[in-house]
Amino acid sequence: MLNRISPQTLRILALLAVLALVLLFFSTQVPNYLNGRLFNRISSSVAIMAIVACAQTLVILTRNIDLSIGSTLGFVAFATGSLITNNPDLGPALLLIYSICLGACFGVVNGALVAYASIPSIIVTLATMALFRSALVEYSDAKSITTGNLPTWLVDFPNYKVLTFGSYQLRASFLLAVVVVIIVHIALTRLRAARKIYAVGSNPEAAEMAGINSKRVVLTAFVLSGALAGLAGFMFLARFGTITVVAGLGFELKSVAASVVGGVNIFGGSGSVIGAFIGAVLVDLIDMSLVRWQLVSEFWREAVLGALILLSVAADATLMRRLVAWRVAREKARTQRSTQS
Amino acid sequence: MKKLTGITAAAVLLGSTGFAAAADGAVSLESGKDIDMVLLPKFLGILVFDQANEGAQEAHAELGNPGELLFVGPTPENSTAGQIEIMTTSATQGQGAVMLSNNAGDQISPSALAAQKAGTKVVTWDSPIPSGEGEDVFVAQVDFGSIGVVMADMAHSILDGAGEMAVLSATPDASNQNAWIASMKEVLESDEKYADITLVDVVYGDDQAEVSYNRALALVDQHPDLGVIMSPTTVGIQAAAKAMQDEGLCEQVRVSGLGLPSEMASYTMNGCAPEFALWDFRDLGYLTYYTAYGLASGQLTGELGETFTAGRMGDYTIEQDPGREGSKRILMGPFTVYNAENVEAAAK
Amino acid sequence: MSKAVLRLDHVSRLFGMTVALADMSIALHPGEVHAIVGENGAGKSTMIKIMTGIHQPSGGTIFVDGEPRQISGPQAAREAGIAAIYQEPMVFPDLDVTENIFISDTSAGLWVRPAEQRKRAKALIERIGMTLDPDRIASGLTLAEQQAVEIARSLSQDVRVLIMDEPTASLSAHEASQLRKIATTLAGQGVAVVYISHRLEEIFEISDRVTVIRDGAHISTKPISDVTSDGMIAEMVGREVGNYFAKAAGTVTDKTVLEVRDLTLEGVFEDICFDLHAGEVLCMAGLVGARRTDVALSLFGVTPATSGTIRYQDKEVSFTTPRQAIDAGIAYVSEDRRKLGLAMPMPIKSNISLATLDEFLSPRGLLDRERETSVAHQYRERLNIRTDSVETPVGMLSGGNQQKVMLAKWLNMKPDLLIFDEPTRGIDIGAKAEVHDLIRDFVAQGGAALVISSDLPEVLAMGDRILVMREGRQMGILDTGDATQETVMSMATGQLEQAV
Repeated sequence: MLNRISPQTLRILALLAVLALVLLFFSTQVPNYLNGRLFNRISSSVAIMAIVACAQTLVILTRNIDLSIGSTLGFVAFATGSLITNNPDLGPALLLIYSICLGACFGVVNGALVAYASIPSIIVTLATMALFRSALVEYSDAKSITTGNLPTWLVDFPNYKVLTFGSYQLRASFLLAVVVVIIVHIALTRLRAARKIYAVGSNPEAAEMAGINSKRVVLTAFVLSGALAGLAGFMFLARFGTITVVAGLGFELKSVAASVVGGVNIFGGSGSVIGAFIGAVLVDLIDMSLVRWQLVSEFWREAVLGALILLSVAADATLMRRLVAWRVAREKARTQRSTQS
Repeated sequence: MKKLTGITAAAVLLGSTGFAAAADGAVSLESGKDIDMVLLPKFLGILVFDQANEGAQEAHAELGNPGELLFVGPTPENSTAGQIEIMTTSATQGQGAVMLSNNAGDQISPSALAAQKAGTKVVTWDSPIPSGEGEDVFVAQVDFGSIGVVMADMAHSILDGAGEMAVLSATPDASNQNAWIASMKEVLESDEKYADITLVDVVYGDDQAEVSYNRALALVDQHPDLGVIMSPTTVGIQAAAKAMQDEGLCEQVRVSGLGLPSEMASYTMNGCAPEFALWDFRDLGYLTYYTAYGLASGQLTGELGETFTAGRMGDYTIEQDPGREGSKRILMGPFTVYNAENVEAAAK
Repeated sequence: MSKAVLRLDHVSRLFGMTVALADMSIALHPGEVHAIVGENGAGKSTMIKIMTGIHQPSGGTIFVDGEPRQISGPQAAREAGIAAIYQEPMVFPDLDVTENIFISDTSAGLWVRPAEQRKRAKALIERIGMTLDPDRIASGLTLAEQQAVEIARSLSQDVRVLIMDEPTASLSAHEASQLRKIATTLAGQGVAVVYISHRLEEIFEISDRVTVIRDGAHISTKPISDVTSDGMIAEMVGREVGNYFAKAAGTVTDKTVLEVRDLTLEGVFEDICFDLHAGEVLCMAGLVGARRTDVALSLFGVTPATSGTIRYQDKEVSFTTPRQAIDAGIAYVSEDRRKLGLAMPMPIKSNISLATLDEFLSPRGLLDRERETSVAHQYRERLNIRTDSVETPVGMLSGGNQQKVMLAKWLNMKPDLLIFDEPTRGIDIGAKAEVHDLIRDFVAQGGAALVISSDLPEVLAMGDRILVMREGRQMGILDTGDATQETVMSMATGQLEQAV
């Protein structure tokens, strides 16, 4: 039975188990923990990171990394805010398209440099991380976007309650994130062209031999990732209202953490956005819970968060290795039986 | 440090003969000296620092300095290293003065000392060098002790004299934030007036919107009887106000602290943040420029007790910094408390 | 000739000044298994790379279906129906069998239809006579299964010419026979199968025609029925052996340095037995996949043998790490200079001191730079390393000089036993002779050398004795006086085995 489940699915199940363990642990530590409020807090705070992690996953799958994703998000959030402040009558659809296209443009810059100038992505995006941020500083002219200047539809959208079960609320931002993750997941698993993303990350040499244009695949991954980062920028604007030049600072590493915790192989080729999504939830859950846990002081929180992330990755890896070894052993036993007979 | 003051003292003896420094009169600065100066904020792209620059530019024009006033700063993700680098570069360029809003803690001291050695005056504003090493004088926006009183007073008025308060700060190692929080704690403990106000928690939002937002909500979850979140940082106060507004908690938990009228106006009007305070960053830039100009042109000696006239803002005196032993400061003060009556006018 | 699906006509290929392919003509017909044989370095892989569009010919013409055609890249090769599989299969380890097979499927449709693909994958696997679960992840497959996946992939793209390059070199006997069956099955279905192998018995078993190539040129193409193994070997070796390798007088002594008995590393090599004396050069000959390097690595403690005994300097030893072997006075000069031997960006002198750093430490525990430099100067003189300065990064030297630096590094250790893996691969004749002299010098001073070489003239010139291996087995030990290229080759290809 167990060997009918694909390793990806197994990994997600393992991750959900870890998630449940974390919930269980903190419910014994933090009073008044497991309730609708916790769900609402986490679901609305994780929405943006879920989309950013999804974007990061697309790039990591091709054996690259995007460290400029936080800067992209910050720039888009600011530029979108500035656009709507100056043109308050602009409709939601146009504004959304503007954010996504702007993000995609940043993706083109990264992707072109990585794929066609053959510079390692860690170097390219380390540079563009600073570059995009500086562009934002220049562009912002030290003005901030303030909530007061944004239309109410934008500011109210993230917390719009789509469904309510008792104290559990399904808010628009979370719903949007889930929908995006599902769409990207379906595209990655079912779209013919998406296979190439996995192929390039899994074995670049073989991909080349199989006639896959890996440069184009890498560029596409960066552009899509940029577009998603743009969408996240839009949501960032809607949620926080006030945007300064520090918007999105630190998102690059958090998104890498979420992806890796979610079982995306940092060396490319394997992983799913569903995993990255759960990874984002797990990281956020640990973070949120630590803040509410009196035992850990402010100064130790970051360290404990890092340790817990390492622990969950290690637990997940060990679990997977055991399962694979067990399977190989069974496989061997089976083939031996069949050759004997 | 001793040695340096010795040198300054010698300079005083030589210099003081040239200028009309009456014993009880303020030094009036002579305009038109050619001095290149650098205004160095924590990082670029933040409104208040740009306002400080406006003030400095105003003073620059007023004093008719033919030299250059540069407004340079690091990018947000590179603040500490960038400040040190700019400090070092300024010294090698032979700038007359660097006006620094320090974000590098004591790490900036070696490069600031080197700059002083090269003849560059180092005047800090907004946020000083904690040890005072490498700093000529600190232009303090307000008396750090009085910030404690003002915050306690705002909490008192919002809570109607009794209730729970929590602090949402920037980073655990921001020296000005920590000094303000410490002074507020002292006021709360020492004055009977605040006997019924309890400070239940201090948390840090790293001066980032999303972290501050989440921390504010965590405070509410952890302390069901919380009445006010006091955030002495412009990022924290608005993120907290937005969080309370989004979750419909404004009736229960108010937000106060230090904020910008333009960012806070809507929250003040809808009652989420009925009162908050801030000083004028334009004035701070203006005063800082006058101080740095006076020192770099040799018209001020930087001695304790020295008084000078800073243009439109009037007379100021160099005094001992009560918060940092052995360091000097010029106190600007006071600050403005904003509420529903004055915030909209200030936001314009 | 007109029915040839793929034909090379006087194709050549140069890499800089090196001629990899001099004059190659070959025609491949549908439905045949066409074997290609030749020594290492005869130009087989270059020819395959030209057929599959990885390299472009420097001269000559390629015909597909009788039409001249340029194969500009792997994509173009696939469009022409040409595919290749290698000893190391090109699979995507993270994807499952079905996904691997249809990775570059260009058939219409935006969406993948997993159920339909799985069905097609199953059919393709059945067509080559294998059983394989289409849902399995490729990283868990055996080499043979991975090759089957690759073959199925090429079939999904309507392959007409399938090139199999040493496909059975790393396979077990059972797997190899499975793979040979696939080759004949496909030929039966009209595919032109190019089969490259060092195993002559395989070639006699499955091929219809056989082409011998040597020194980058076509020597002969004959129906298999017209060929004998001796004739084939003679053609493979056939060139005049130059006398450029001067052979020093025998310096072999009675003192046994190394005594190896029944050395076995399960699944890799078995029952290796030999003695090595002070003053002796023992060469190990064999073809690709003979497992000579694996034996050397076991002796050096990298992959300890699973059974058998090693006596070294009259003591039984079992090294489990290279450090132990080094401490006992054994040096191993690797075949892969770039990967295992030299730190390319570092200067010559630092490379020389690298294996013996302790010796260069001053009493205070710091590195004695002056001593490092002076030692490097000594070796520069002694080994004739051509460079202006010992500060030059090793990466900037020629291959021959790099090899000398590597030798200096190990000689400085003053070893008693030197294991030298392909010492002259990729370096020019002049440098080769110098390296030979250095090895000879070393044994003349009482050292013992074990030299792995695929260069037959070198083996015959330099070795006092020759140990021939084939697929992990020791085929025999020859005295150089009795050996010819033909006898060595016959043993290496399994046509001749010495009675032990």
